[in-house]
Amino acid sequence: MSDRIVGVLLALFAGWYSWEARSYAVDFGDPMGPALFPEILAPPVGLLGLYLVLRPDPDPEWSTGRYLLSQLATVVALVAYALLLQPLGFILATLVMVACLTAMLGARLPQALLGGVVSSLGFFALFDWFLGIPLPPGLAFGG
Amino acid sequence: MDILFSLAHGFAVATQPVNLLVAFIGCFVGTVIGALPGIGPVNGIAILIPLAFSLDLSPVSALILLTSVYYGSMFGGRIASILLNIPGDSSAVVTCIDGFPMAKQGRAADALAISAISSFVGGTLATVGLTVLAPTLAMAAIHFGPREYFALYVMAIVIVGGIATGNPAKTLAAGLLGLAIGTVGIDPATGIPRFTFGAYELYEGIDFVIVAIGLFAISEFLIYIEQRRTGPIEQVPVGRRTTALRQLTYPATSLRASLLGFVIGVLPGAGATLASFMGYALEKRVSDKDGTFGKGDPRGVAAPEAADNAAAGGSLVPMLTLGVPGSGTTAIMLGMLVTLNVQPGPLLFQQQPDIVWGLVAALYVSNVILLILNIPLVGLFAKLLTVPSHYLMPGVVTVSFLGVYSVNQNSFDLLLMVGFGVFGYLLRKLSIPLVPVVLGIILGTPMEQSLRRAMAASGGDIWTLVESPLALLLHAITACVILVAILREAGRRRNAAAVERGA
Amino acid sequence: MEIIAGRRALAAGMLGLAGLAGARPAAAFVGPRPECLAPSAPGGGWDFTCRTVGRLMQELKVVSQPVQVSNMPGAVGAVAFANVTSRRAADNNLFVATSTVGLTQIAQRRYPGDVDRVRWLAMLGADTGVILVRADSRFKTLGDFLDALKADPGGIVTGGSSSLGGYDHLRLLLLAQKAGIPSADLKRFRWIHYDGGGPAVTQMLGGHVEVVSTDLAEIAGFVEAGQIRVLGAMAEARLAGSFANIPTAREQGYDVVGLNWRGFYTGGRVSDEHYNAMIAGLKQVYDSEGWKEAARRSGLQPIWRSGPDFERFVANMVTELRSLSQDIGIIS
Repeated sequence: MSDRIVGVLLALFAGWYSWEARSYAVDFGDPMGPALFPEILAPPVGLLGLYLVLRPDPDPEWSTGRYLLSQLATVVALVAYALLLQPLGFILATLVMVACLTAMLGARLPQALLGGVVSSLGFFALFDWFLGIPLPPGLAFGG
Repeated sequence: MDILFSLAHGFAVATQPVNLLVAFIGCFVGTVIGALPGIGPVNGIAILIPLAFSLDLSPVSALILLTSVYYGSMFGGRIASILLNIPGDSSAVVTCIDGFPMAKQGRAADALAISAISSFVGGTLATVGLTVLAPTLAMAAIHFGPREYFALYVMAIVIVGGIATGNPAKTLAAGLLGLAIGTVGIDPATGIPRFTFGAYELYEGIDFVIVAIGLFAISEFLIYIEQRRTGPIEQVPVGRRTTALRQLTYPATSLRASLLGFVIGVLPGAGATLASFMGYALEKRVSDKDGTFGKGDPRGVAAPEAADNAAAGGSLVPMLTLGVPGSGTTAIMLGMLVTLNVQPGPLLFQQQPDIVWGLVAALYVSNVILLILNIPLVGLFAKLLTVPSHYLMPGVVTVSFLGVYSVNQNSFDLLLMVGFGVFGYLLRKLSIPLVPVVLGIILGTPMEQSLRRAMAASGGDIWTLVESPLALLLHAITACVILVAILREAGRRRNAAAVERGA
Repeated sequence: MEIIAGRRALAAGMLGLAGLAGARPAAAFVGPRPECLAPSAPGGGWDFTCRTVGRLMQELKVVSQPVQVSNMPGAVGAVAFANVTSRRAADNNLFVATSTVGLTQIAQRRYPGDVDRVRWLAMLGADTGVILVRADSRFKTLGDFLDALKADPGGIVTGGSSSLGGYDHLRLLLLAQKAGIPSADLKRFRWIHYDGGGPAVTQMLGGHVEVVSTDLAEIAGFVEAGQIRVLGAMAEARLAGSFANIPTAREQGYDVVGLNWRGFYTGGRVSDEHYNAMIAGLKQVYDSEGWKEAARRSGLQPIWRSGPDFERFVANMVTELRSLSQDIGIIS
């Protein structure tokens, strides 16, 4: 079943991709144009999608319950981190994210906090000071 | 003989004690930096330049420092590939395929040693080839026009399709998806933005680092969470090498891959990434009798590493004879020459042979130092895996974010990386291989551009693609590869059917 | 692009280092926290411009604080342009690197706004456009080439380091216009884009493209080696030094100046006083030996244009490029 869904999605993607590509046109100098290569790619993708609908592999074992929940929580944490890195600053954002992830992987709270503190300060020193890649200072440095 | 004399002179300079010391420092720092995903030689060089100036190094010593940082960070990229399944740069992608399974089996130190040894072999053979063949090869490289490049990329895609194990339809779909992702951004030929949804962040295309780190590193984390369901994950014993060094050399593999890598490297623009992929594909075709490739076969680490380094050497040919950088390595080296007031170009070779051959010698010396430095250290690097997972994995995630953040310093890229992480997770669950996706992204743009250049030159005549003998030859090889694959698959099915009937 | 970036990054790094020398206050430059905005990633051409000029400002004590270089890559400068026009139009600390490449984008309406949304400060140097053929080519002069092009517009394969409609392409079309080739025929030219001047010339040596239009600096080595012939340089007068024997397009009767200049703009609501102070600061940089040296290294001819003169120059260039782009259908 999973493969059938993938097949349908692939075919839909191919259709959209080809349709979208058709809008890219120039009327000068380039015999092939920016649309042709995507239009060449789309049909085989669509056909492969149909093939998967007709000849799917056995379903993988999808994660469920508690594990699916922690995967979802992880994704939420990662998205939140991506959005909060600049406003909160590297140190604070990283501390929170690493602590959450560590706790979720089964560490006790003090351990998790320790992990967060060590990672955030350690990586800040490594990247900002040693490698010279400026990280957002954010709230921690009032900046 | 002039060449040999200049090279000997270069070596004499490069092996002075101060230069050896400099190379040592450069290799070490480079290795450490390169091990951080997304952080590459440019950062390493930026750090060490102040050092070079404050120590008042001679131009040659400065060159040696920078080449050794470059080589060190290349090797460092392998550390991340093998231990953590995060390719640090595009030529390290293929090293993940067998390197990471080796690490999971507790053979991380072996894999790292193999990487160092076969890199060394590739580098050595390339230096020899360069000295003997440079002028001849340069002329050949010029004849590679758009249609020949296109034929080469088609061949690469087809051959590399054989890299992945499992459902061929899924492999193919993965490769095509990669090519499609590669079309995002401003079309280089006409300046028209494609598939950008009006987001300026997508105009320059999706950076390879974002895709690779997302697909590999973030998906690894999600997979890891799920695997805990099957009970506590066993800590793999790591540390020492499990095999004698002599048994880690794989001479035949390294030789084959080096030859292929060198030839690909000579073509400007094809580069080390293509070489590493094709070196792997060739080796798999030749040696994979028992289906061990992709499951931690040491030859699957040796081949791409040898090819990669041989290609780096081969790419010196266009640089030395034409002054055109053929790869990332030579681009950085040309940059160094420019800062030493050397004008790159076809006269480089005649006007300043000392500097040029000094550079070749410097590269080679870095290669040797890297081997000497890293063989004893592989155990130490592999110890990284003994850090308890609940600390290691979040740390890896942080480094992933930082590697991506350092590219453009915006949140958009971070979100994109997380998106690719979820995408990569789904692909892995569905047994759709990740490597063809990455390969498609890397090869898509040059493939499309070479096709369009050929079309522009011929005024839209499609037959131009097969009108050159060289292109025709490449297409013929591709056709043979496909034919053999079909026959083999058919044979396998017949056998399977026969076995079934027999049983 | 990547290849060039690597080289520039290194050069920038090296130059940046030299800039670590001390700075003492003697502010001719307005704004307490001078900032040069490079609309490219670290290592790009605009980044190089910012870092070089920033370093020199500090060395020459034009500024009391080190010039901070910030990068805002995206859409060939459009992201930075949007940011400056919307949020930092009155910021007297800020100057933004740009070049002919950025201006071409404005001319083709790929930036959110036109030239009058910002104030154009000055240009400090320029690379020169050249038309190249192989040393054994059938074309001996610009006239030979353009006549052949006029006779058979689709019969000659041309190429360069910009996309269709990019500046290398447009420069060639400007020449063709001066040769009297009608607009309808301009569309029929075959144009192959390469990732840089070096690759384009290499492919020309291999016979895959016959005529290349690009900047001189990157391919100067090939000219010196005698492997290629320069049919014409799109400069106002003959170049100095070893390139003095290159004929200009103008002296061959095709009055086209195709300079790829490097310069700066600032926000549209910066006051005259600050605007003039910025120009004075840039002038000090331009007059220094350090700039001559840096320009020479990266193959630029030092050229100075500033204030109203520069604004007129920019406006004229945009008008010219825009009408050409409309003629050949790049924009409507």
